[in-house]
Amino acid sequence: MENYDAIIIGAGHNGLVTGAYLAKTGKKVLILERRSSVGGIAATEEIFPGFRYSTCAHLAGSFSSEIIAELELQKHGLKILPLDPLLFAPALEGNSLLVPRDPAKIVEEIGRHSKADAEQYPLFCALINELAAFLRNLNSLALPDGTSPGSFNLAHLVKVGFRFRRLGKKEMYEFMRILPMSVADLLNEWFESETLKSAIAASGIVNSFVGPRAQGTAYAFLHNLSGQSNGAFRTAGFVSGGINQLPQALARSAQQYGAEIRAGVEVAAIATKNGAATGVFLANGDEISAKIVISNADVKRTLLNLVEPTYLDPHFLLQVRNIRSRGTVAKINFALDSLPNFMPAAGNAAAARLGGIIHIGPTLDYLERAADDAKYGRFSQQPFLEITIPSVIDPSLAPAGKHVMSVWMQSAPYHLREKNWHEQREALGDSVASVIDSYAPGFKNSILHRQVVTPLDLEQTFGVTGGHLDHAELGLDQIFFMRPVPGWAGYGTPIENLYLCGSGTHPGGGVTGLPGSYAAKKILKSWPHGK
Amino acid sequence: MTKYDAIIIGGGHNGLTAAAYLAKAGKKVLVLERRHVLGGAAVTEEIYPGFKYSVCSYVVSLLRPEVIQELELPKYDLEIIPLDSTFTPMPNGDYLARWGDHAKTRREIARHCATDAEAYEEYGKLMVQMAMAVKPMLGLVPPEPTSWNLKELFGLASIGNHFRNIGDKLLYDLTKLMTMSSADFLDEWFETEVLKATMSASGIIGTFMGPRSPGTAYVLLHHYMGELDGAFRSWGFARGGMGSISRVIADAARHYGAEIRTEAAVDQVLVKNRRAYGVVLGTGEEFQANIIVSSIDPKRTFLKMIDAQHLESEFLSQVNHFKIRGSSAKVNLSLDALPNFTCLPGEGPHLSGAISVSPSIDYIERAYDDAKYGDYSRQPYMDIIIPSTLDPSMAPPGRHVMSIFVQYAPYHLKSGTWAEKREAFGDTVVDTISEYAPNLKDIILHRQIVTPWDLEQEFGLTEGNIFQGELTLDQLFFLRPVPGWAKYRTPIKNLYMCGACTHPGGGVMAASGRLAALEILKDLKRSFI
Repeated sequence: MENYDAIIIGAGHNGLVTGAYLAKTGKKVLILERRSSVGGIAATEEIFPGFRYSTCAHLAGSFSSEIIAELELQKHGLKILPLDPLLFAPALEGNSLLVPRDPAKIVEEIGRHSKADAEQYPLFCALINELAAFLRNLNSLALPDGTSPGSFNLAHLVKVGFRFRRLGKKEMYEFMRILPMSVADLLNEWFESETLKSAIAASGIVNSFVGPRAQGTAYAFLHNLSGQSNGAFRTAGFVSGGINQLPQALARSAQQYGAEIRAGVEVAAIATKNGAATGVFLANGDEISAKIVISNADVKRTLLNLVEPTYLDPHFLLQVRNIRSRGTVAKINFALDSLPNFMPAAGNAAAARLGGIIHIGPTLDYLERAADDAKYGRFSQQPFLEITIPSVIDPSLAPAGKHVMSVWMQSAPYHLREKNWHEQREALGDSVASVIDSYAPGFKNSILHRQVVTPLDLEQTFGVTGGHLDHAELGLDQIFFMRPVPGWAGYGTPIENLYLCGSGTHPGGGVTGLPGSYAAKKILKSWPHGK
Repeated sequence: MTKYDAIIIGGGHNGLTAAAYLAKAGKKVLVLERRHVLGGAAVTEEIYPGFKYSVCSYVVSLLRPEVIQELELPKYDLEIIPLDSTFTPMPNGDYLARWGDHAKTRREIARHCATDAEAYEEYGKLMVQMAMAVKPMLGLVPPEPTSWNLKELFGLASIGNHFRNIGDKLLYDLTKLMTMSSADFLDEWFETEVLKATMSASGIIGTFMGPRSPGTAYVLLHHYMGELDGAFRSWGFARGGMGSISRVIADAARHYGAEIRTEAAVDQVLVKNRRAYGVVLGTGEEFQANIIVSSIDPKRTFLKMIDAQHLESEFLSQVNHFKIRGSSAKVNLSLDALPNFTCLPGEGPHLSGAISVSPSIDYIERAYDDAKYGDYSRQPYMDIIIPSTLDPSMAPPGRHVMSIFVQYAPYHLKSGTWAEKREAFGDTVVDTISEYAPNLKDIILHRQIVTPWDLEQEFGLTEGNIFQGELTLDQLFFLRPVPGWAKYRTPIKNLYMCGACTHPGGGVMAASGRLAALEILKDLKRSFI
């Protein structure tokens, strides 16, 4: 029987990151992927001839630059194409908002909407950058693990305390105050323009079940800016050649360090003996053993489906079941004959506006109402949309002159109260197309092909329980030492030698690679295992 | 002109408490109350002859036992009648009742769902544990987390240590409780919709949030905190109405020598060289004192009573950012007879406790949705009591008073004013209850509607917020009322705050008044030595 140091279940970007780091230190690593290609939600697929869709995730600008450097991903072909503009928010009436990459020009653009907001914006960015940087710093601290009782050690707390105090009095207070706030309340303290506020608020609610008035969305906002922060807007980027080139580069890096990757191989169960993981059983019945097993699958799938539940304490199991992972986004991919023409008609300037995120969600109330629908188990007819047209920047993704459009539609709850997603799939696609058409008349006529990926599809295709891309909601009760479950934030599990490394672990979702790299660090620190 | 040691602005229960403590320490104290009656939002008034309303606040749960002891309140004839059942009529003709009798409650919950009855026991135990863990914070002056001062660091460390010592499991549960929505939190425990809804309702009282809003779960704890004090049951009704509580505290203050004046509306706080030295009434009358204590909310205190030139712009902007959105209203009725609920007809113990109109989480959440966009709830959540069933002195024989707490009623209406909408709102309230108790409309003798606007105009609560500021995580403990000023002091020397806007916040607790007075006495001692 084959024997490895570590088996990683799932070749999502985090699994690959963990695998690469372990292989880099000389560990014998096997990465197993259920689907035919690596990458998990970072998939690029040619669903319609000549058009390559980012089936699921479409932006990777917040991927950790440290990981890119340490795993030499550029050498392996990774090229991130920064967005410019950062964001374009078309308006049905009145002024649209275009956020260019250049910070000086942002202020000028905001000034077109509100003079007061233009004055506030640099001050807001300065504060947010400082707080986001602190959060990034805080995220990198090791968290207590359920395996060590009395887990909050004083030295650790003191360390956090010292870092905190370095912020300065005003910022310390602002950090404590802002973290639990709603992003709407935060922005209302600073700005008056609804267009600006709703465009910024988007970062606080992406992938989230709740609207901008929910407490904790200000934390999510900071979390999403804690990559290489760029003022109040997310630093986002496309991956040249499609988002799948990111996991491809990771896979090449891992392989170069000696990791073995097998795609099209499904893990059926985690093998355990005396409460410790010993390897995996494949769907075909084969067993592969390893010193440790690391799951990149979501926490619920790992601990409720892949492990015999009798091995786990009922209270722990209850905590796992209670993880909130209500998927709430759907993905719609379009093949387009031509670029959409957003109002007010921009003619030749159109392409210049469409290279970044196109934000549909003109007011805070609009975003809030969209989220209201999800609460009552129906998808929103006036949803918040995050649209990108990657072919504007990367023409290789579509035939000449044609385009691929990628749309995240939010407030499409996994649990529908009426009908099911099979019945509602096309209705959802029609509804989203109509919304875009209202902002860009003629859009519907330019559609050559459409793919609708519902939360149920996300679960079935990508294996994320509940269709939640972050594996678990980024609420205040599911972060830091509470993520994935209280007391088990150190990547370990109650099953010895079984670890977690996916988005459901600290510091959480987004294509950042951070959970994978922190998990690897933690695992290497306590190597050798099971002794 | 007489010079006082301390002038307290506002004769609400916190102001009176601060006055009593200062007077007890031998200070010469003057309390100035704008209205003709003492008590602030804890008042009993006879608006309609023979019928006494607890106009605003209507139950007591957290009145601090140390205040009761230290001010010897029982001497002044205070009686709290336990109010320990909650009855929730349901649209399908059924009901859910939780009684003072534990076994009876268990049977009743089991009637709806057997596993919930089990879970209810466990839940109760956990909540009591958590309440015990949190309760010490209520009696504590928040430390200053940004200071390097050894005393402050020690304060922080001892709080840190306190929470380390309660054990990991409880700490995690507490973290969840502080951050989750009450709906999500209760979903982890129960199945019965009406049970979850009625319990979640206690998590939204006084907030501008719905049961699905993160951050509402921790208010659930309040239900369990009072119970521990021994002296009183978890919820109680003061004999003679809520005004009785204010009256006994005022009696104690007077006993210690405090002077109390009503119909004395303070217009301005006198400040010179960043020191407060007195107040001017609307009539122009002036009083001077070494110390001025405001029991008024910070917006009114700093934006209306003090000239902006005395304050830094950053502090003013913090005060401006203090969230104080009112979300609730009160309707008080004089009744010719008792309401007759279709699901449980006739008189009975269910009319002597709380009656909750909260059939489902969705119902309350929809009520919140209306308010989010600037309307009062078309189908509001209501917490009703009929005090006259417990205390016959509240109404003429055979007749009754009904106190209806209504949520949501946002202070800021999208269209129209509260003056225009008041009666329509009252109709909505009565109509909604009538769906469960059809005889209500026929037995109403008099109706008083207290909208958030009235709470502001009449009771001086900015935006009608019953807690003088929302009780959200960003406005609690050392962040209350504003970061850096949680210790009852203000940027103006000799000016203090003692209202619900300070730690530990709203409810008829008297904790803020007591803690503020103790801090003031510390400062006085220091400056006289």
